[in-house]
Amino acid sequence: MGSISYSTAGRIATRELRSSPGKFAFVLLSVAIGVAALTGVRGFSASFRSMLLLRARGIMAADIAARMTDAPTPGEQASLDKIQGLDATPVTEMLSMASSTTSLDPLLVALKAVDPTKYPFYGDVVLEPAIPLREALTDSTVAVGDDLLLRLHVKVGDWIKLGNGTFRIATVVTDEPDRLTGSFAAGPRILISQHALAGTGLLAPGTRATRRLLFKLQPTASGQPASDSHVADLRTQLEAILPQAQLSDYREANPQLTRQLDGATGLLSLMSLVALVLGAVGVAMAMRAHLQQRLDSIAIMKSLGAGSSQIIRIYLLQTLLIGFCGAVLGLVLGLGVQLTLPLFLAKLLHLTPGFRIDAHAALLGVGAGLLTTLLFTLPPLLDIRNVRPILILRRAVENEESPLFTRAARHLRGSGLQLAATALILIGLAALAATVSDSRQVGGFFAAGLLLALLVLLGAAALTLLLLKVFLNTTRRQLPSVLRHGLANLYRPGNPSAALLAALGLGVMQIALISMVQRSIVGEMQETTAAKLPNLFLIDISTDEVAGVRALLATQSTVQGTPEIAPVISARIAAVNDTPYQQLHLKHMPRRGVLSAQLTWPPTPDAPPPGDKVVSGKWWSAQQGADAAHPIVAIERQEADRLNVHVGDRVTFMPLDTPIVATVAVLYEADSQHAFSRAQFVLPEAVLHGLPVTWYGGLHCDPSATGTLRRVLYQHYPTITVIDVAATLETVRQVLLQISYVIQFLAGFSTFAGIVILASAIAGTRYRRIREVVVLKTLGATRPRIASIFSIEFAVLGLIAAVIGLVFANCLASLLLKRVFHFDYHLNIGWNLAALCSTGVLTVAAGWLASHRVLGQKPLEVLREE
Amino acid sequence: MGASGSGKSTLLGLLAGLDNPSSGNVRWQGTAISYLPENELAQLRGRTIGFVFQSYQLIPTLTALENVLLPYELNSEAGSRREGLARARQLVASVGLSERLDHYPVQLSGGEQQRVALARAFMLRPPIVLADEPTGNLDSTNGQHVLDLLLELNRAEGTTLVLVTHDPALAAHASRRIILRDGEIVAEERTAVASEV
Repeated sequence: MGSISYSTAGRIATRELRSSPGKFAFVLLSVAIGVAALTGVRGFSASFRSMLLLRARGIMAADIAARMTDAPTPGEQASLDKIQGLDATPVTEMLSMASSTTSLDPLLVALKAVDPTKYPFYGDVVLEPAIPLREALTDSTVAVGDDLLLRLHVKVGDWIKLGNGTFRIATVVTDEPDRLTGSFAAGPRILISQHALAGTGLLAPGTRATRRLLFKLQPTASGQPASDSHVADLRTQLEAILPQAQLSDYREANPQLTRQLDGATGLLSLMSLVALVLGAVGVAMAMRAHLQQRLDSIAIMKSLGAGSSQIIRIYLLQTLLIGFCGAVLGLVLGLGVQLTLPLFLAKLLHLTPGFRIDAHAALLGVGAGLLTTLLFTLPPLLDIRNVRPILILRRAVENEESPLFTRAARHLRGSGLQLAATALILIGLAALAATVSDSRQVGGFFAAGLLLALLVLLGAAALTLLLLKVFLNTTRRQLPSVLRHGLANLYRPGNPSAALLAALGLGVMQIALISMVQRSIVGEMQETTAAKLPNLFLIDISTDEVAGVRALLATQSTVQGTPEIAPVISARIAAVNDTPYQQLHLKHMPRRGVLSAQLTWPPTPDAPPPGDKVVSGKWWSAQQGADAAHPIVAIERQEADRLNVHVGDRVTFMPLDTPIVATVAVLYEADSQHAFSRAQFVLPEAVLHGLPVTWYGGLHCDPSATGTLRRVLYQHYPTITVIDVAATLETVRQVLLQISYVIQFLAGFSTFAGIVILASAIAGTRYRRIREVVVLKTLGATRPRIASIFSIEFAVLGLIAAVIGLVFANCLASLLLKRVFHFDYHLNIGWNLAALCSTGVLTVAAGWLASHRVLGQKPLEVLREE
Repeated sequence: MGASGSGKSTLLGLLAGLDNPSSGNVRWQGTAISYLPENELAQLRGRTIGFVFQSYQLIPTLTALENVLLPYELNSEAGSRREGLARARQLVASVGLSERLDHYPVQLSGGEQQRVALARAFMLRPPIVLADEPTGNLDSTNGQHVLDLLLELNRAEGTTLVLVTHDPALAAHASRRIILRDGEIVAEERTAVASEV
């Protein structure tokens, strides 16, 4: 048997590629798209992570940060003061209400109180106009975000009211170094000094606030920050002094943030993988079509003595070359993606990572591009074994036009290796998915799910084409000739219509699914809560304000129903059934979680609070509740699950230093829409009597009058924070929108990959198309008529793919929204129609891009070639 | 008539308006066509000239009947669809393929495909039919059958048949023979034959 060396194989491979550059240009692009998406996402993630590390100290504004629910006790403070060379500064963040002194229209704001003489330890607070921070934050001045100026219609130099105090706006704060590691800002920011905050009366015992203590070690003799080992030593000491605090040092660059970054990177990488797979499918389709056109060459080589494996070598090299060049192109495009992503996330991140090329991301992208291209091209390459040398003498009618049964039987005979190739595809895909998502489980599910989706779409596409053919055959005499001709072209020999539709359909399905889910979730957030349920929540009402607030609300006609005002007591859980909290077996709950429990008592002694439903046990009678010597407790079911407690167990609470050992009498479910839902533990009033209490209110106000009611409340009780559910939901909605734009941007790559596959397939049938154009012109067809026929063909392809993609997208969206996110699903006919038309227009454009010189072909040039 | 490379197809292309002369003009029934706009030329060609190609050149996605009907549908001045269909059926029947109306080209043999091409060429009753090596891809039996049908249709429809061939036996059927060599007309012969073309 003859043998083809690698150099000869390579020479043949490259010459064939060079002979049809246009055809392979689309194939290159289809590989490049997926690689671009993947390297862009991972490159951005790597840059962001590297920036976090580089600026870690700046991002934390300290060497170590301790997040706590309460200020250190005197004992803890004394221990901290003993550590040599340690500087500490507190940062307090909380929500509150502010207004201008002229209009008294209250606004929910995010307060951040710092010590301007020390904060920040690293990084800079950027102020405009730029003045020293200690001048900006005095007992009577604050720095505000520019959105506050807009919302309150004030400017620098004006006065605002905050709690019991009034402050002059000294400057605008545009950035603080630790903004990323701080709390989420539900409103415009106000930077204030710790001393000034104390004077506002906003920070009462029990007030909900996030406290951080920032620590800095003395710099080294050369002025450099403390070494890693010193920071590690300090951390060990702090863990012992502040057991309740959540500590993080600059080396972790905020563990929560990195965890979120990892999760997001994994998800977005998987989405990029879909585009990569589609690209590989495109290469496989193009290679199949290319091999069909090379049947003569292959038959000649076989008749000259070459074996199938030698010939496969040629086309394998071709595939690898295409995959590599496509991957390199994708790398370059991926740099563009890397530069684009920060634009989408600007509002969320407040930081733009510096641009750098991450070698690991680049290698992963190129490797993934090559691997998927190779895997998906295996089946058509293996078909080379079936080419018989006799073809050079006789072109037998034995290919796709044979009866289905004959084709199936022939296929089964040679299917051993094909099955192995398919299995290899599945394994390779799973391995790739596991690598990009850092989870073997996710990788396996993803691969199986994607292949299943492709198979289902393929089946749907084949069925649709079959039905269309039946329709065409039944009505062809009645249809206008242009339409008939255009539809008939879908079945042109060599048209991989079903596979094409499946690929395009997958891209449409992905982007449509994301859009539908986003629209439903974000859209539903705009609706106000149902009537009778609270749409305004009052935070941090003190005990001596309760009666006054109730009386005030009673005078307001816009308040509907009776407002709920619930007492909440903060406590620690010290033990369950005599097991100390440190040894408790907790489910999906950080140990820190047990340290902050919210207790309440019911408004009616012998019934659960409004919105709570008993699921296990029996609610106590008024008599049982009055027995303070034998405390009983009702626990919210999910909380009980996390703590692993059941009816009959004993829980030890520590609201102050005296423990309360309560027996679990009831487990209940809360609807989370009442003020009492704030607490997860309900005990009788007699048991909690005398403990420090903060009160939370929930009321339903006429939605059109919430602004007026907020003003009235603020006028009388400026220290009470009012959360307008609708306004808060709007803020969250905006965040979700930002995130969804990124996801849609990446999903767009899959759609783009589908369009490129379409263009590639159309380019692959270029010669047949040219022949057809020439014959039509010869018979008297004008250019507009020929253009109409092809346009109909492209449009129908796009519309069918869109229909298939949209049907599945709607089904999946309905499933996801109802079962996973618990939102409503509504079929939006208008939106679906618009998506349908857009896909049709896109495919027509792509089709013509791939056929642009077909119409101009001179008839004689083609006819002479015959 | 002429050997391979003598310029037969080039001449055919010029006559059919598929190619432009370097100088001079081609006229169809008095109308100069060489520099007409493409769309106008295509429409005129559809009405004036019928084609029979060596490799049939049927549209693979249209049935036999639809291929024959195609020139009628492309002609904006043609009559009603019913008339066109009737004419197409009649032509398909005349070439002996009534049983194959709804077959696609790939389901037809070479000879059958060429017969469909013949029927298509005569659909609009063109004054001229150009046939470029119409039996070149057929075996002798099929080739003879196709030739007989071509001459039959030509006689029945009263067209002018321009046949391009290198086969003297085929050329013998013509009443006027133009012999080409190296792109030039080197001889012209006229004979009277029973099957006048």
